Amino acid sequence: MDDIKILLVDDEEDFIRTLSERLDLRDMGSKTALNGEQALGYVGEKEPDVMVLDLKMPGIDGMEVLRRVRQIYPNIQVIIQTGHGNDLDEAEARRLGVFDYLKKPVDIEILVERIKAAHQAKKNLLDSSAAAAAFAEAGEYETARDMLKQ
Amino acid sequence: MKMYTATIPGSALKVRSRESYYARQKRLFVLLVILVAIIPLLFISWTASHFYQKSWLDKTTVELTSLANSRREIIDLFLDSQENILAGYAELYDLAWLSTPGNLEKLFKAMNHQGVIVDLGLIAKDGSHRSYTGPFAADLKDKNYAATRWFAEVMQNGRYISDVFTGYRAVPHFIVAVTDPTRSWVLRATINSELFNALLASAEVGPGGDAFILNRQDELQTPSRQGLTALPAGEKGLLATGGGLTIHHSQGALYATTGMKNNAWTLVLKTDIATSLADFYRARQRDHLIIACAALLILAVSTFLVRSMMNKVEGADQQRMLLYDRIRYSEKMALIGRMAANVAHEINNPLQIIGDQAGWLDELLSEEDPANLKNTEEYRIAFAKIKAQVKRASTITHRLLGFSRSTDGLKSATKINTLVEETVSFLEKEAANHRIAIRRNLGSGLPEITTDTTQLQQVFLNILNNAFDAIGNDGAVTISTRLDGKQLAVEFADSGPGLPEEVLKKVFEPFFTTKKAGSGTGIGLAISYSIVERLGGSIEVRNGMQGGCVFRVNLPVAA
Repeated sequence: MDDIKILLVDDEEDFIRTLSERLDLRDMGSKTALNGEQALGYVGEKEPDVMVLDLKMPGIDGMEVLRRVRQIYPNIQVIIQTGHGNDLDEAEARRLGVFDYLKKPVDIEILVERIKAAHQAKKNLLDSSAAAAAFAEAGEYETARDMLKQ
Repeated sequence: MKMYTATIPGSALKVRSRESYYARQKRLFVLLVILVAIIPLLFISWTASHFYQKSWLDKTTVELTSLANSRREIIDLFLDSQENILAGYAELYDLAWLSTPGNLEKLFKAMNHQGVIVDLGLIAKDGSHRSYTGPFAADLKDKNYAATRWFAEVMQNGRYISDVFTGYRAVPHFIVAVTDPTRSWVLRATINSELFNALLASAEVGPGGDAFILNRQDELQTPSRQGLTALPAGEKGLLATGGGLTIHHSQGALYATTGMKNNAWTLVLKTDIATSLADFYRARQRDHLIIACAALLILAVSTFLVRSMMNKVEGADQQRMLLYDRIRYSEKMALIGRMAANVAHEINNPLQIIGDQAGWLDELLSEEDPANLKNTEEYRIAFAKIKAQVKRASTITHRLLGFSRSTDGLKSATKINTLVEETVSFLEKEAANHRIAIRRNLGSGLPEITTDTTQLQQVFLNILNNAFDAIGNDGAVTISTRLDGKQLAVEFADSGPGLPEEVLKKVFEPFFTTKKAGSGTGIGLAISYSIVERLGGSIEVRNGMQGGCVFRVNLPVAA
């Protein structure tokens, strides 16, 4: 299995430690951040593939983290996992381009499946952008634009 | 039919006490009208009548006074003149000349220009007639006056005027007698007293009034206009005989009395108040009738106006109370909804952790050596149960989140009938399983509404599920849609047993359920309520005419 770089962001320490260990059991290494600042700091050091993000956190909240990450590192796939979000939050998150929006409590198997899917999506994205770049180099701008649109 | 969108216990009590409040207000207003309209009316009518009566009385008193004075003067003057003429003759002529036949007749003719003298007699000192001229010669010729009182008086005083008497003849008359300066003979004239009668008859004392002369014995000297032959006993004390002018005001009459003929006679003028004021009383009676009618009319009109006004006020107040109740209820529901959503939010995190910890333990169990664990299977079952309960709890919390759902920006044009059909299609299978017929009575030409289709569908699903649960097996649900004013009404009538009123009141409250524990969360209708409120509509429940419950969803039609 590919090594997926995962960042878990949640202010509930119990939750995030257990989650990290359970992912370890499934051979998925993960890093944890307890708040928005830590998360952004980690992202700045080492870009993860997939970020599992809680919305309600003290300080910089999940929505703000999401906003900045999508701006600076559009390749990171973000999965929101929250117990607080309402439908407006969900709509906003989806508008900002989250990979998925999950409501707590989330079954570990579902989360694992979504993480894998997100990773796959990132790979596809990278592949298609590489391909698009190749097309663009070849002068096929229209094809390149179409590929990026997908 | 009772609606339970907004029923607050105790509001019936409030309405009762309010009714008495309105009754009090009505009474107060009517009382005010009486005070400001009717009382002045009565006051004006009373003062007008009172002052009219008083001024009439004053005027009549003045008139009566001047009348009495003028009549007294005329009569006194007349008596004096008769006496003076006779006294003049007595001085002028001697007994011998007067005794000469024919001379007395000459005097009689001279005096009788005005026709007031009835006869004239010359009486000797011994009281016998020396000479007589007049119509009663035969009767009086041999009459001797020596023993009469008047003869004695005239012989003593030289002059005498009698009271009125009928004498030997049946004609009212009085006599004037004088003696010569030597008091040796008497000249006597009988004067027709009808002249007085005429004088008094011309006195204006009004209908029911009277004018007459009394002597000292209170005997009538002139005929009473009212046909009195003697002074009524009741009036005897009232009238001071003789003396100056006196006005006496008794119960029903106004009297003016004045002494005359040196206070030997009393002139009495009487005006009957009741008779004189009869016209006025009649007019006053008519006025009173008119005023009473006006007062009654004012009372009736004002009562009617006050009543209709207060009824309107009461109606408006009730409307406002109802609206107020409705607002309070929907505020309460919104508060409960927000609380429920917040609780759900807060519980989701612990639920997640509980589930995760159990899951993790389960996973760690796999790494243990089964030989060291006696109850591996029990552990697994317990973890599975924890997971199942977490799932159950999360189902509830996720439904509760429906309370905090917003509808901003999610509205779209919706054909209500299409939405109903689509919703029904989701449940057709379940309906068939329970042998429940779904009848549609959908209005045609209904306007499209702009609303959150998904949420509205959830409301319909909740109501239909509720109806299915109420029916159980075998029955029908009738869905009807129609335009009701500016609202689109969607009604779901089930053939279930209906609900008691206490339950109807609480049907929209969260966690209220009549279903068996574990089979329903009691949130569906509460969420439906909050959704419909957010969509700007309302939801009502009542028991139908043919039994069963009728849920009605009112949705606003955009203007």
